[in-house]
Amino acid sequence: MSESTARFEPSVVPADGPEPRVKGGWLDRYAHLVGPGTLRALEALARRLRGHRLVMVNTTKTGGGVAEILHRLVLILNELGVPTSWEVMEGDERFFNVTKKIHNALHGRTEALTDEDREVYAERTRHEAQRLALDGDLILIHDPQPAGLISLRRAPGQRWVWRCHIDLSSRDPDHWEFLRPSVSQYDASIFSAVEFVPPLPIPTYLVPPSIDPFSEKNRAMEAEEVAAIVERLGLNRRGGPWVTQISRFDRIKDPIGVIEAFRMVRARRRARLLLAGGGASDDPEGAEVLAEVLERAKKVKDVTVLELPPGSDVEINALQRASTVVMQKSLREGFALTVSEALWKRRAVVASAVGGIPLQILHERTGLLARSIEGAAFQTVRLLDNPDLRHDLGAEGRAHVRDNFLHTREVRDYLAVFTSLL
Amino acid sequence: MTKPFQFSTVAHIEYPAGRVATGLATLREGIARVPPESLFFHITRVMVRYPRARDLPPNDFANWTAAALQNLEVAERLAFAGAQPLVELEDLRSSLIRILDEALSKKHAEDAMEAAAFHFISARSVKAPLGFTADSPEQVVQLWPLVDPSAAFYHLVEARVLGPAEDNIVDWLRVQGAPRFAESAEDLTRGGIPLFRLQREIGARWRRSEITKRLLRRTERSDATRRQEARAVVARFAGRLRKPPRENDE
Repeated sequence: MSESTARFEPSVVPADGPEPRVKGGWLDRYAHLVGPGTLRALEALARRLRGHRLVMVNTTKTGGGVAEILHRLVLILNELGVPTSWEVMEGDERFFNVTKKIHNALHGRTEALTDEDREVYAERTRHEAQRLALDGDLILIHDPQPAGLISLRRAPGQRWVWRCHIDLSSRDPDHWEFLRPSVSQYDASIFSAVEFVPPLPIPTYLVPPSIDPFSEKNRAMEAEEVAAIVERLGLNRRGGPWVTQISRFDRIKDPIGVIEAFRMVRARRRARLLLAGGGASDDPEGAEVLAEVLERAKKVKDVTVLELPPGSDVEINALQRASTVVMQKSLREGFALTVSEALWKRRAVVASAVGGIPLQILHERTGLLARSIEGAAFQTVRLLDNPDLRHDLGAEGRAHVRDNFLHTREVRDYLAVFTSLL
Repeated sequence: MTKPFQFSTVAHIEYPAGRVATGLATLREGIARVPPESLFFHITRVMVRYPRARDLPPNDFANWTAAALQNLEVAERLAFAGAQPLVELEDLRSSLIRILDEALSKKHAEDAMEAAAFHFISARSVKAPLGFTADSPEQVVQLWPLVDPSAAFYHLVEARVLGPAEDNIVDWLRVQGAPRFAESAEDLTRGGIPLFRLQREIGARWRRSEITKRLLRRTERSDATRRQEARAVVARFAGRLRKPPRENDE
């Protein structure tokens, strides 16, 4: 065996490598989940980025899935010896109203972009371009809000990558035309799924999102803690197994369809439906949908509707763990990481075959897919009747998430993309 | 003397291959025209996506044909055609096209809804040396449990099908005069079993085939050394018995 490889410890680093990975850090917590070989592979990929600095840019440090992911990714990349900083583009209410409008339009909810909106966006971009420290070798810009920075701040030799977390398959053409000239200047773009990608003149890569198994929403929980949280929420665990959908009250999540499917289930089996979610208090349409759901729920036996405030991560964790079947009967979806969250907890999942769900649910292996209300009811009854099937799907589902939807996999993908660009 | 074998891991950069299928005809067209890397992604790389599965799911084409087109007969034929990871990609392409041509000639096939279209993906690999090399087949056996599943896949399957040949571990073992090691690895890989099991079973088979050699080596050592080694083995075993099994891997 050659000299540099005599020690078979995970900390083996060849003579020309960077500083060894930080021990006892966040990444070490993954060792027993993904195995030391996977961490060694991350170290090997990180060595290829030796001498390069990365900068992540988004518009918020707290709240939202992107910020949640960035907190961990920045930490992990630094632990791997890849210096990574995180810059937050700031904005006032006017700017965020415009970017919210763009965000909605890219999802398909059109509202015209005025000249004033365009000016607000441009003005804030100019202001932030002067303030932000964008001095890395690779700048990773997340989502549309900071996309315009490239034309003002790109330095020679830098690589700029646009990371889009939004499903652009139903994008509004006017809003996209507003963004496209900026996006086209990037060296590459990254999307979560192939279905979300619009035509672009730059290379496009696919990096699915991932979950943090140690976050409040996903961390391990003892049965006593689950019971205490459920009790605190005023829910009764008697009266049959729970079928649960946790989603904001939005028509595309089809809460009425879930109630209808449960009505069919309840006619044949003893069970309870729990519809839990947020988004009603600050969204006029959400409040309207919640009112409809409450009205419909009154007509079906054993249905509970629970409005969760923002930040109810521990509660969501407990509710998923207390459920026998988790549903995600959406009519349209982005990536739907809620499915991975439920699979991680070894839950049996019934979900629609839309958006990123089929990447997470392989029918009859990691969960069950349904395409209709009757289909959702049929698969739910199957799961309620069959603990062995629930156990098997739950075990395979967790293994699938472990290999494909934890942060370690997303970091690995990013390291590969960055290496190919630098 | 040949070069030492350098273990590397790979990460796969995925990107759209620029084709979409909504039915058997467009699936056939896509399969006929996408680059080999795309076929490799949709068929062979299923092993990497489901490394811990009890048995491997069918390839992406078969899975989509069953789920979106509800054509179970064609799906199972596509699944069977793609169930052999070491086959040449152009042979594989021909087999898939033949199955689809036969299906298309029989009856009018239903198309899938636009929302359920099949988007072809391609991928290219970024290689990163793991930092350990083996000078002999025995050292390969020692190092094998330390490599990650992607590295195992790369050296057993990808380097053989897509190259480069120097990273093909089976060829290297043959050149090193270890044909039995090479054959057992090749046989198991050809079976198309899930990656974790494949890596574990290859390692176990290699170790078993070294038992005689190890015993012979032991007989050449002094009694004192052998007693010391035996005590270490017993201590390791006792340690294992003392350690409670982990109930929860969270």
